[in-house]
Amino acid sequence: MTTEHNTHFGFKTVAESEKAKKVAEVFHSVADKYDLMNDVMSAGMHRGWKHFAVSISGVDKGDKVLDIAGGSGDLSKLFAQKVGAEGQVILTDINASMLGVGRDRMLDAGLNVPALQCDAEKLPFPDNHFDCVIVAFGLRNMTHKDRALAEMQRVLKVGGRLLVLEFSKVWQPLAKAYDVYSFKLLPLMGKLFAKDAESYQYLAESIRMHPDQETLKQMMLDAGLNKVDYYNLAAGVVALHKGYKT
Amino acid sequence: MLKSLSTRLLQHLLAQNAWAAPMLKPCAGKSVQLNFVLFKISLVILENGSLASAGETNIADAVITIPPSLLPRLIAKDASAKLQIQVDGDAHLATTVAKVFDQMRWDYEDDLSKIVGDVPAYKLGEFARSSAGTIKQTGVNLAEMLSEYWQEEKPMLAKKRHIEQFNADVDTLRADTDRLEKRLNKLGQAMATRAETSHSDKSEH
Repeated sequence: MTTEHNTHFGFKTVAESEKAKKVAEVFHSVADKYDLMNDVMSAGMHRGWKHFAVSISGVDKGDKVLDIAGGSGDLSKLFAQKVGAEGQVILTDINASMLGVGRDRMLDAGLNVPALQCDAEKLPFPDNHFDCVIVAFGLRNMTHKDRALAEMQRVLKVGGRLLVLEFSKVWQPLAKAYDVYSFKLLPLMGKLFAKDAESYQYLAESIRMHPDQETLKQMMLDAGLNKVDYYNLAAGVVALHKGYKT
Repeated sequence: MLKSLSTRLLQHLLAQNAWAAPMLKPCAGKSVQLNFVLFKISLVILENGSLASAGETNIADAVITIPPSLLPRLIAKDASAKLQIQVDGDAHLATTVAKVFDQMRWDYEDDLSKIVGDVPAYKLGEFARSSAGTIKQTGVNLAEMLSEYWQEEKPMLAKKRHIEQFNADVDTLRADTDRLEKRLNKLGQAMATRAETSHSDKSEH
């Protein structure tokens, strides 16, 4: 008899082997409207959050940066400008549809950013390779977050930084309003703009199932990172965690 | 939001003061708390030598305490005020950050020139400098006038020579008191010796 481990997919419980497939379906479905929806859902704030992540990354000219679950390539574009011609940014995503959008945008912008389809839990890079690894709005979709974080730590150089930009626990007084927004307005907007209410229902549910600020901090420490600190953005709707490999 | 804005502002200032990054780079990853007593600001030094606001759970490697009463003197570039800044933790880190802040200048003309062009920016800068000079001179004059009024008309503030005289008088009084105490002790000892001698003489008789 074999025992299948379960995990969450939004508020539903599914077999671990099923999650990646289901997440892939969601992102395949939203890929072409992903940027538009991000702008609508966050009132454009996601651009500010990403700029902030880049500004505190400490990335300099000539650095090597790995953008995990980079999707449409917003961050890769910003990092590519920071590292310059002598540096390197690699855009990765497990989802081919999302990666395709990102790769095309890099080409259109004339940026030399290789796009690589890979699983964050099994990164195809050597140890101690990158100065900075970033995962923005991707960690919550990963089946084994602990394994993914350990992999990110492995590929970082000593002194390298891991940045995790992710939805988090909102400031308590705003929790009610945020619930109404997430579970009523968000699926409605998904239906109107992307003609896909279910995928956006999943996004709202997956945000609620994701670890809060302190839990994620502990998970990063457990993965071998040090000096982990976080920034609450938009009253904790989003948190940016930063940890060092020492 | 505030951290994001302050980080952007700091990094903009550091980009204008390119000499600062090489100074800060050796301290990358460390953080400093500026404690103004009424409020605190924590800053972290990034790997590229720039500064950013620290996160929610940061533990500072150095704390620079600047009492609010010291701020006007620091703004007025009073060198003696710097000696009263309290530093705890990594002293080298605190000194480096303090030096950067001390020497950092905002090139507002450069920022303005991107909006209104070079010539209007220069003219506006010139006007701002002369206005600032006038305001500063007026402020100094006003302060001197009030100080004179308080000293001469309403002696709420003591003059320097009066304080010095007072201090000298206190020193003299202290020295006199010490001498008096010693004399009294000596007198006490002498009386005790005399009493003992007379007592032994009586017992012999």
